[in-house]
Amino acid sequence: MSTPRTSLVLLVARQELLLAARSRWTQIFAAVFAVLALGVSASGYILSGGHGFQDFARTSASLVQLVTLVVPLAALLMGVMALAPERGTAELLFSQPIARRQILVGKLLGLLAALAAAEAVGFGLAGLVVFQNTGEDGAVGYALLVLGSLLLTAVFLSLAALIAAGAVGRKRARALAVALVVWFVAVLLIDLVALGVASLLPSTAASRLLILSVLLNPASAMRTGSLLAIEGTAAFGSGSLALLRFTRGTGGAAVLVTFSLVAWTVLPTLAAIRRLSRADL
Amino acid sequence: MAPVLPGNLEGRPPPSEASPLQRRIDAAEPGAVVEVEQGRYRGDLYLDRSIRLVGRGRPTLIGSGAGSVVRVRGPDVLVEGFDIDGMAGGDLAADSSGVHVAAPGVTIRNCRIGNTLFGIYLRESPGARIEGNVIRGIPGREAGEKGSGIHIWNTTGFAFVGNDIADSRDGIYVQNASGGLVRGNRARRLRYGLHYMNSDDNLFEENVFEQSAAGAVLMFSKRIQFRRNSFLHNRGFASVGLLFKDLSDSVAEDNLIADNARGIFLEGSSRNLFRRNVLAQSDTAIVLYGSSSENRFEGNAFIGNLSPLALYARRTDTKFDGNYWSDNDGPDLDGDGRSDRPYTLGSLFDHLRGNLSAADLMAQSPAALALAAAERAFPVLEAIQVADASPLARPPSLPDVPAPSAERRRLDPWGLAAALILVGGGLAVLGVGRRRGREAA
Repeated sequence: MSTPRTSLVLLVARQELLLAARSRWTQIFAAVFAVLALGVSASGYILSGGHGFQDFARTSASLVQLVTLVVPLAALLMGVMALAPERGTAELLFSQPIARRQILVGKLLGLLAALAAAEAVGFGLAGLVVFQNTGEDGAVGYALLVLGSLLLTAVFLSLAALIAAGAVGRKRARALAVALVVWFVAVLLIDLVALGVASLLPSTAASRLLILSVLLNPASAMRTGSLLAIEGTAAFGSGSLALLRFTRGTGGAAVLVTFSLVAWTVLPTLAAIRRLSRADL
Repeated sequence: MAPVLPGNLEGRPPPSEASPLQRRIDAAEPGAVVEVEQGRYRGDLYLDRSIRLVGRGRPTLIGSGAGSVVRVRGPDVLVEGFDIDGMAGGDLAADSSGVHVAAPGVTIRNCRIGNTLFGIYLRESPGARIEGNVIRGIPGREAGEKGSGIHIWNTTGFAFVGNDIADSRDGIYVQNASGGLVRGNRARRLRYGLHYMNSDDNLFEENVFEQSAAGAVLMFSKRIQFRRNSFLHNRGFASVGLLFKDLSDSVAEDNLIADNARGIFLEGSSRNLFRRNVLAQSDTAIVLYGSSSENRFEGNAFIGNLSPLALYARRTDTKFDGNYWSDNDGPDLDGDGRSDRPYTLGSLFDHLRGNLSAADLMAQSPAALALAAAERAFPVLEAIQVADASPLARPPSLPDVPAPSAERRRLDPWGLAAALILVGGGLAVLGVGRRRGREAA
């Protein structure tokens, strides 16, 4: 036990990264994401309606849409598959002289690195198209988009850990189904419900509800934050102004979006650790 | 936005405020050319006879600060080649201007007018020709404390060509003036680029109205023609590219209306035709009030707008036919260049965001797309039906529409390098796993 705790975590992380990088699923995700990102960016410039309007901001906006749909799905599914192992594997792994939380954190870091690498290929290829013909402040918006994507990956890996922690020893199929439901809720259902409820409320309350739901839901927070960073207030018209009034400026909006994403990364991980340490294998 | 009536007509400046050039003008015969050499001439000028006042080497006329710098009261006067500084002086109630004209047949050409309440004021001045001037308002003042760049009142027949106006109240203000041509002007950073009241039969071509509270605001008039103008970047809270209020029988063709909070705004306006315009990147492309009727939109390209239409009425008889809508995904199976089904403008989501601006936050989100899809699949809600009968399947070629400027777009080597590093780094990380995997195996 002379090895320091951090290096134990890193050891697990490296092992998980190797496993994930070798996994067919990671490779497929990397390839699919690369093709989609390249397709979005290339069509943004080539099929621009003949008027050159689908410029950097619009292309990046399309990339944001792609990221909010695909990245949570990949993180949830691959996270659950990697973190809810079969009974034999789990018993072997958890009998090693390492704390369960160290195993979990290590595995999460490894998965995050693998998924980030897969996304980096796609963003890089799309960037090669985008940066051939861009505006002055394009690079900053693009960097924020990549960062946002990384945070979103972390958020949904963390949620995957929480789902998988309850599925140790049980069937993985059920955990995968739960992961799909979580994806559907985060990407679609929360927004739909918020819109539905908002349409029944008086306008001040409705406006507040929509803004809160956009900030609290990590998928929407990432989408809103990135689009505001890239397009400015033009992203959502008067909706942008309503949001910025609520957050008292762009600084407040940035803080709240970041806070939401970080909270959604840390809290589910803590809950997963708690659940895992109590689980009877 | 009531009509702005002219103020008291300024007369001959008292000797203490008069320019040293006044003596030469008073000595000139009608029809003479008075050439002014380079230099700075302090004081106001009164031109009461038809002379040609020509600056050589851009002399500067510096106003007394008490009123208009150049007051034109004689017919057929030409003023050309001067820099005119209004010293931020004068009085809005007296229409104090860089050049104040109350005479027929006057030409103002190639002057740079700055620091004045009004740039050029034309009061009952038929046949005026204002060409190639650069006009700047008084910096740092509120719109209400400034005059317009070019102001024309109660005049028949005029031409404003190739002027550049910024930082005034309105760029070009036209009131009770008809039979005019406004071509190739550029107006920006104003309240309204063009403000227009009670004036019929005017022609606007190839002007640029941008970065203002509204590109152009036209009211209470008939038979206006707009061709190949650009209305750009009017992005304020309630900003509009092109606003018609009680404006009828007018034609807008081949205009570029892009990056505005709202593209076209129609209230109480009837029988107008919008043809072959590009409307792009607006929050709402068209705002249409029920008080408007029988307008037609044909062959326009609607590209990348958050919402195509905000309709404030139960129904409308405005017709949309053969326009291109970038978010129309209707197929064109028979290959006739038109989508096989009509394109419905506005969805359930658009209806929501019409009532609630925060709903814009979810524009183009998966939720909004799902709502639109659900609405098509299960048409349970009888939405207000405004549709394009036969939308174009592909963007039309519109060669006469001004091209959006391509400035600021270039290759970014640092971005490209970063992108390459991302690709390389990602592949390396993924590749490490594969190599180690093989070693282990």
